[in-house]
Amino acid sequence: MAQFTQFLFTGLSIGLVYALIALGFVVVWKSSDVANLCLGELVLLSAWFTYGMVEQAHLPYYVGLPITLVFAIGLGWLIERLALRPLIAQPILSLICVTLGLAYLFRGIMYFIWPFSVAALPRLFPTTPIHIGPAVVSQEYLWAGGISLVLFAGLTLFYRYHKMGIAMRATSDDQLAVQACGVPVTSIFSASWMIACVVAAIGGVLLAQIGGISWGLAESGLKSFSVVILGGLDSFLGAIVAGPIIGLCENLGGGYLSAIAWAGIKDVVPFIIILIVLFIKPYGLFGEVRIERI
Amino acid sequence: MLPCGVHNYSYAKDMAILRTKTHWALFLLLLALGGTLPLYCSGTWLAVVILIGITIIAAVGLNILTGYCGQLSIGHAGFIAVGAYTSAVLTTTYHFPFLAGLICAGLMAGFIGFIFGFPSLRVKGFYLAIATIAAQFIILWVISHWDKVTGGQLGLTVPFASIAGFQIRDDFHMYYLVMFVAALAIFFSMNLARTRVGRAFVAIRDNDLAAEVMGVNLWIYKLLAFFIGCFWAGIAGSLSAHWMGSVSPEGYSFMESILYVGLIIIGGLGTTVGPIFGAIFIRLLDQLTGIYLSPALTAAFPNLPSGFTTGIGPMLFGIVIVLFLVLEPRGLAHRWTLFKFSYRLWPFPY
Repeated sequence: MAQFTQFLFTGLSIGLVYALIALGFVVVWKSSDVANLCLGELVLLSAWFTYGMVEQAHLPYYVGLPITLVFAIGLGWLIERLALRPLIAQPILSLICVTLGLAYLFRGIMYFIWPFSVAALPRLFPTTPIHIGPAVVSQEYLWAGGISLVLFAGLTLFYRYHKMGIAMRATSDDQLAVQACGVPVTSIFSASWMIACVVAAIGGVLLAQIGGISWGLAESGLKSFSVVILGGLDSFLGAIVAGPIIGLCENLGGGYLSAIAWAGIKDVVPFIIILIVLFIKPYGLFGEVRIERI
Repeated sequence: MLPCGVHNYSYAKDMAILRTKTHWALFLLLLALGGTLPLYCSGTWLAVVILIGITIIAAVGLNILTGYCGQLSIGHAGFIAVGAYTSAVLTTTYHFPFLAGLICAGLMAGFIGFIFGFPSLRVKGFYLAIATIAAQFIILWVISHWDKVTGGQLGLTVPFASIAGFQIRDDFHMYYLVMFVAALAIFFSMNLARTRVGRAFVAIRDNDLAAEVMGVNLWIYKLLAFFIGCFWAGIAGSLSAHWMGSVSPEGYSFMESILYVGLIIIGGLGTTVGPIFGAIFIRLLDQLTGIYLSPALTAAFPNLPSGFTTGIGPMLFGIVIVLFLVLEPRGLAHRWTLFKFSYRLWPFPY
C-alpha cells in the first residue's frame, strides 16, 4: 500500500510536469500547425543553460532563473524567425523535418558546451521527505507538480481572457480571417514559440530537480508526445487530463511490471501507450477530429 | 527532357533508362570507375565508400516509404537494427549461410515495419511520425534487454560474410558486395517508380483521399510501402553488421533515424538520385569535419572546449538540414536536374 501511494504521488507529479511540457507543444500546434519535435532538446538545453548560470557562473537562483527564462524567450524568437517563418505554407513534412534539424543542432551545441553529459542542479526545494499516510515522497515531486499546475492554470486563463491569448485561439481557427481583422499572424507565431520555449525551460528545470540533468531529459520531452497524442493535439484540457494518466501509467507500470518484465520498462510504457491510442482513438481523448475533403 | 535531336520511335525506346549513346558511354565509364575504385582508393577512404554504399541502400528504402509514398518514418534506424540483429543471430546461433541471413534480415525488418505501419491506416503526418518514433524506442528497448538472444547492451560478434564458401574478410571484397546490392536497390527503386505500385505510392503521397477515390487500395499500398522501405533497411543493417563484425544497440539510436530523414531531404525526396546524393553528401560531410575541419580548428584555436570535436558534427548537420529546407527544399536532385537541362540546351539559355 505504501508503495502504491508512493507511485501514485510521484506519478501524478511527474505527469503534471509532462502536461506542462506538452502544453508547449499544443500552443505551437494550435497556432501554426507546426509539430515541434525538438521539444526534448529544448527541455534539456534549458536545463543545461540553468546549470551553466547557477553552477558554472555561480549566480544565485533568483538571478539565474530569470536569465534562463529570458534565454528561453530569445531562443523561441530565434527559432521562429530563422527556421519556421521562411517555411510558412510549406508541406507538413518540411515543417516536421525542420524541427528535427533543430534537434540535431541543439544536441551538437550541448555536446559542444557541456561535454560531461551528466550533472546535478543545486537544490531549489527543501530536501526533507514528506510522509503522506504510509508513503514517503520527496518534496521535489510535490513542488514540481504544484508549480506545473499553477502555471497550467495561468496559461489557461491567459488563453481565455487575455487579448493575445484570444488572438492566438482565433489564429488557430482561421488564419486568413484573423489576418483580415488586422492581427499580425507572424507575431502570433512568434509568441507561441516563445511560450513553448519558456514552458519547456520550466519543465526542464523541474525535471532536473527530480532526476538531475542527463540525456534522459530529452527523452522525457519525447514522452510528453504521448501526453499530446492521448489528450489530443489541440486540446488544453486533453493535456492536463492525459499528463497525469501518462505519469501514473509510467510509474505504476514501471513499478509493478519491472518484476515480471525486463528492466527499463518504465521508459517504453509511454511509447506503448502511443501505439495503443493511435489504434483505438487516433485523435486522442479531446482532440478535434479533422474531416478532410478533397 | 531529351537532348536536342533525340527522337524516340518506339515505346520501348521511350521507356529505356539508357536512351542515347552518351548515356551508354557515361554508364560504361561509371561501371569502369566503380569496378576499379578499390585499386586506387584504400584504407579509410575505401571504408567511407562502403559506408556510403550501405547508407544508400537504407536511404533508398526510406525514400520509397517517405519520398514516394509520403509516410514519414522517424524510426528507420530501428528497422536497420532489426535487420542487423536478425542476420547476426541467424548466422551465429543458428549457423545460417550469409545469403540466407541477408534475405531473412530483409524479410524480418520488412515484417516488423509492416506491423508498425498499421497506425498509418488510421493516421498520417505528425501522428504517424510519432508512431514511428515509438517503434524506434520499443525496438531498441527489446534489443537491448532481450539478453538471451541479442546479447543485451554488449551486443553480438558477427562472422564474416561468405558466399559459396568464399569468405569476405577485407574491405576490398566487401566493396564489391555492397556496391552490387546498392546498384540492385537503386535499379529496383528506379523501376518501382514507373510501375503501377509506384504510381499508387505517388498518388497516396499527393492526396490520399483522392487516391482512394480513384481506386487505390490504401490498406495494401501503405503497408506495402512500409514493407519495401523496411526491407531495404534490413538488408543494409545485415550488410553493415557483417562488415563491422559486431552489433550493439548504440549504433541504432534515435539520432541515427533523424539522420536518415535529413539525408533524403538533402538529396531530394521522391527521386531516384536523391538517396545517392544525400548519402554521399552526409557521409563526406561527416568525414571531412572529422578528418580536416575539426583538427584544423582545434589547432587554430587551442582553447576550444573539449566537447568541440563531438559537437561540431551534429551542429553542422542540423544547420545543413535547416538551410536545405529553407533554401532548396527539393534537394540536391533538383540542382542536378537543373544542371542537366542547362547542359543539354547549351549554348541556348532555355
